[in-house]
Amino acid sequence: MAATTAMNGGKSAHDRMQARAPEMELIREAQSGSRSAFDALVRQYEHQVLRLALHLTGSEHDAEDIYQEAFLKAYRYIGNFRFECSFYTWIYRIVTNLCLDQLRRRKTRREDHAVVIDHSGDEIDVLASVSDDRSFSNPAKELDRKVLGMRIQAALSKLTPRERMVFELKHYQGLRLRTIGEMLSTTEETAKNTLFRATKKLRTQLAELR
Amino acid sequence: MNCELAHERIVTAIYGELPDEQMHELDRHMTGCPDCHCDREQLLAMKILADAHPVLEPPANLVARSRLRLEEALDALPPKRWYERLTQRMVNNYASIQAAPFAACLLLVVGAGAGILGSYEYMQSHRARVAATHPAAAPVVEAAPAEIANISSIVRQPNSEMVEVRYNQLVPQQMEGSLDDPKVRELLMLASENAASADVRDDSVGLLAAECRAGHSCQATGIRDALMVVLRYDRSAGVRLKALDGLQPYVAADTHVRDAVLEALMNDSDLRIRSEAVNILEPVEADTTVRQVLHSVANSDQNPHIRTVSREVLSRVPEIQ
Repeated sequence: MAATTAMNGGKSAHDRMQARAPEMELIREAQSGSRSAFDALVRQYEHQVLRLALHLTGSEHDAEDIYQEAFLKAYRYIGNFRFECSFYTWIYRIVTNLCLDQLRRRKTRREDHAVVIDHSGDEIDVLASVSDDRSFSNPAKELDRKVLGMRIQAALSKLTPRERMVFELKHYQGLRLRTIGEMLSTTEETAKNTLFRATKKLRTQLAELR
Repeated sequence: MNCELAHERIVTAIYGELPDEQMHELDRHMTGCPDCHCDREQLLAMKILADAHPVLEPPANLVARSRLRLEEALDALPPKRWYERLTQRMVNNYASIQAAPFAACLLLVVGAGAGILGSYEYMQSHRARVAATHPAAAPVVEAAPAEIANISSIVRQPNSEMVEVRYNQLVPQQMEGSLDDPKVRELLMLASENAASADVRDDSVGLLAAECRAGHSCQATGIRDALMVVLRYDRSAGVRLKALDGLQPYVAADTHVRDAVLEALMNDSDLRIRSEAVNILEPVEADTTVRQVLHSVANSDQNPHIRTVSREVLSRVPEIQ
């Protein structure tokens, strides 16, 4: 059984290497100055970058800015990429740093306001729009899904940028704690402790919905 | 396990990152701890609530707009210069070496090994060239056995099969010069005494005798002595006869020459030499020693011609004196 697992593990690692081979070629070509190779890399990762930025910031405008700045940085510094980690981790590290900067700016600007921005650019104060009747026995009946989502987003905004980022990467993006540590230039243990603090705060924030 | 640790592990457990052995330990703790059990229920509820804020795919318009804006920004960037790319590549290569110290050490060791091997090969070939250009250093002499004159010594090294042999080699040389040249005369005298070939002795003695008859100096250079030695000891009668001819001018003045001629008259086996010696002694026949020899030869020489000639010479002595 263990041997089978190991074989499967070895085979999957081999498959991953084979799958990454064209990507490595693209990276090398991009490092040599090939614009078309870099465009191919952008197309490969742009959906994931936008998905993360949009969910973190809740703003299409901010997500677009983060997308722009992240890939421009990647283009400028792709020569520094040394294949010590996956390109996925490397590009996510750039995106998460930009998102953290964005979250920090927003937290300084609107300290105690649970505000989200809809697709048209209008600001909505989530907490003000929530009903006073907070029975959690049947939330589907008392709150429509959209408002619930906005309240959760408001609760998430109470976290520190780093806690928000770790929770985002773990809960919504499904990344391993070790990978999260790599992306945030820290250890797996620190990422775990940050996740613990984030969940503790969220429980407190969302307890009122019960 | 205490409750504080259990609360931490509950978080990692619900996100699937708690190892199995710790999971079993956590389960055992929670079966007897209602607070921790409740904590897990609350956390699971929070997880379900958080899922109410799902991750959505970015709208197609947003993707297209972002891509277009990025392409415009990339087009506006100046292309990287060749030296910027070169510098970047060098920095990357340096970083790769830094990141692989074992490979760098291995490269160093391989380089040093190749250098030592190359030096060894070079020294071997250099020694071979030196041995080829200096054959005297080679211990083997079979290559030119005819050139060895003699073996001077043989020494065997103790408790070994090594033998040291010292030998002399003959180096053929030649020279040209006048008969008056002392070096040439020395070689001719050497040839008259030691040459293995009678022809060489004959040639050398003929030349020396001609020099003496011609009145050139023969005493100071030892030519006269050399001719006397030839007259007394050379195996060839012809060579002795030529030496006798060369000594003729000195019979009257040099008693050593006169004695040598008298010895030849008395002892030489060749008739021509004895007969020629009688003729040569005729000017000094009044010498007592000469007369005694002539008397002896006239009485006892086995050849009648010699005996007759000797009597004729002795009969003229009173008239001469």
